[in-house]
Amino acid sequence: MLGLPVGCALLQGCAQSAVSPTTHYYAEIARSKNPSAKETVLVCMPETPQTMEVWSGLRDELAKNYSLVALRVEDRGARSVIEEGIRRHQPAGIVLMNNPTVAAYKDYQHNARKTTFPPVVVVMSSFLDAGRLQVSGATGISYEVPLITVVTNLRKLIDRPIDKIGVIHRPELGGFVDRQAALAAREQIVVVREVVGSSPNASELKRALRRLKEQAGAVWVLNDDHLLSPKLITEAWLPGLNERPWSPTIVGAASLVSPLQSFGTFAVLPDHAALGAQAASLVFDIADNGWVLPSDLQTQAPVSTTTTLDLAQVRERFSLRNDALRQVDRVLDR
Amino acid sequence: MTDGGSLSRTAVMGAALGLSLLASRTSQAQAPKLLVYLHVSLKQRAFQGLLQSALPGVDVTAVGRISDFDRAMSDAPDAVLTLPLVLSAKNLHAQLQGQRAGSAEEKYALVAADAAPDPTRVKAVGALDVLGREGTNLFVNQLLGVSGKVERVTKVEDLLPLLQMQRVDAIVIPLRLLSDVRSASRINLVPRELPKPIGLPAVASFGPAGPTIAAGIAKLPPGLSQTMGVDAWR
Repeated sequence: MLGLPVGCALLQGCAQSAVSPTTHYYAEIARSKNPSAKETVLVCMPETPQTMEVWSGLRDELAKNYSLVALRVEDRGARSVIEEGIRRHQPAGIVLMNNPTVAAYKDYQHNARKTTFPPVVVVMSSFLDAGRLQVSGATGISYEVPLITVVTNLRKLIDRPIDKIGVIHRPELGGFVDRQAALAAREQIVVVREVVGSSPNASELKRALRRLKEQAGAVWVLNDDHLLSPKLITEAWLPGLNERPWSPTIVGAASLVSPLQSFGTFAVLPDHAALGAQAASLVFDIADNGWVLPSDLQTQAPVSTTTTLDLAQVRERFSLRNDALRQVDRVLDR
Repeated sequence: MTDGGSLSRTAVMGAALGLSLLASRTSQAQAPKLLVYLHVSLKQRAFQGLLQSALPGVDVTAVGRISDFDRAMSDAPDAVLTLPLVLSAKNLHAQLQGQRAGSAEEKYALVAADAAPDPTRVKAVGALDVLGREGTNLFVNQLLGVSGKVERVTKVEDLLPLLQMQRVDAIVIPLRLLSDVRSASRINLVPRELPKPIGLPAVASFGPAGPTIAAGIAKLPPGLSQTMGVDAWR
């Protein structure tokens, strides 16, 4: 297999990491001090290129009104770091970036003596919705780009009607797919689904993929680590997608698009700086409500996306619309 | 919306010659810098590439966020191409004004699904972020004649998801961009034209190379100017 990072590395921002055996120490990645601001927003985050883009979006929006502190949180064992950050800065609001950071904050809440906490905005957390928020007093933005946005983008590029889109999912993500299908119906998109077991093997996945390709005009690959293990990518996805009939395949990680190995035709993922600005908008809504979560504030999906296209695969298998490449952020070719 | 500066034919020819000379000297001296801050219906990467090709010898930077624009302004560009309302907010003056059908202004529309929206009944509206939070809120509220919640986005393509996900009741866009938004959607998008016109893109120049850049912009290929809603530069 060539050039495709696999498994948990796919969602670098969201990945589930084990508790680190290393000692956690207090470290601030960045600060934006506003002398005229009364409130501070504490941003708990790992330091990656993606999270730094989200930070820049947050800072650009919030720095005029508040002081900001970016606190390094490496993994889910960093409860004491968060506790220290809150003690030092007494934040009016908190932003948590990625699943391990959310887990560390949940651990902090669970073990804290006090019972009231600042409102929290969660970003870069996978499959986030109100029912899955792990911490109290929180809202947030899911990392998954909605199917309706994914297909809207694909329709702008591929010169063939795309009315049915196929998705393989485990039973655990049935509710997520239901909600995506309901939203996508607004754009006359029909979702064809193949449900596999909770821990599918390569044969099961490959069979599901073959059935799906017969019925749908494109394949949407969920960012589900259980379906994207190295073994399943090598033994199910790659052989299944590289046999006829060919289907445009949309993935949620740029690392799955490579002209050296045909997996994803097209990746649609959140624009991280815009994600930061969107999170800032939630912070403003909370601040306008006296730093209390408004009762009608719902979790959101990312609005702004960036796109990556495997031009080599498209040239070989599909036709592009005129000027399609002007609608893509990143074009990869051999 | 503009101070009405115009360029004579001689000046344009001289400027074109200047551009050619500049193109040949890029290896010897720093190229003059044009900063572009406009929302168009193609990616900024592609837009910048088209402008760069059309303006040889000019270092073109196209940005889509006001914060990026503010940062890039500290890099001392020789000229800026943006909306007059942005120039005005930054205390800059236009030397070259885009026009369409003889007018320096264009109409905006409020667009919603299935029925023409009533501005007085719209609770949340999506809009391109042209001036940051406070400035854009003010701009949109003045455009609509009422105040409501404004959801800002930084790309034309991001307006449609706001409607698709029902985050807003309507979006506000230059009327000329409606066909681009419609072409990406099967939702029945219905516009209501807004009475207040808004200025078309304009150029402010500051550095010594500014007039030369402005002259180059005045001669952009028609298709590229139309991307900005302009059919002539005066």
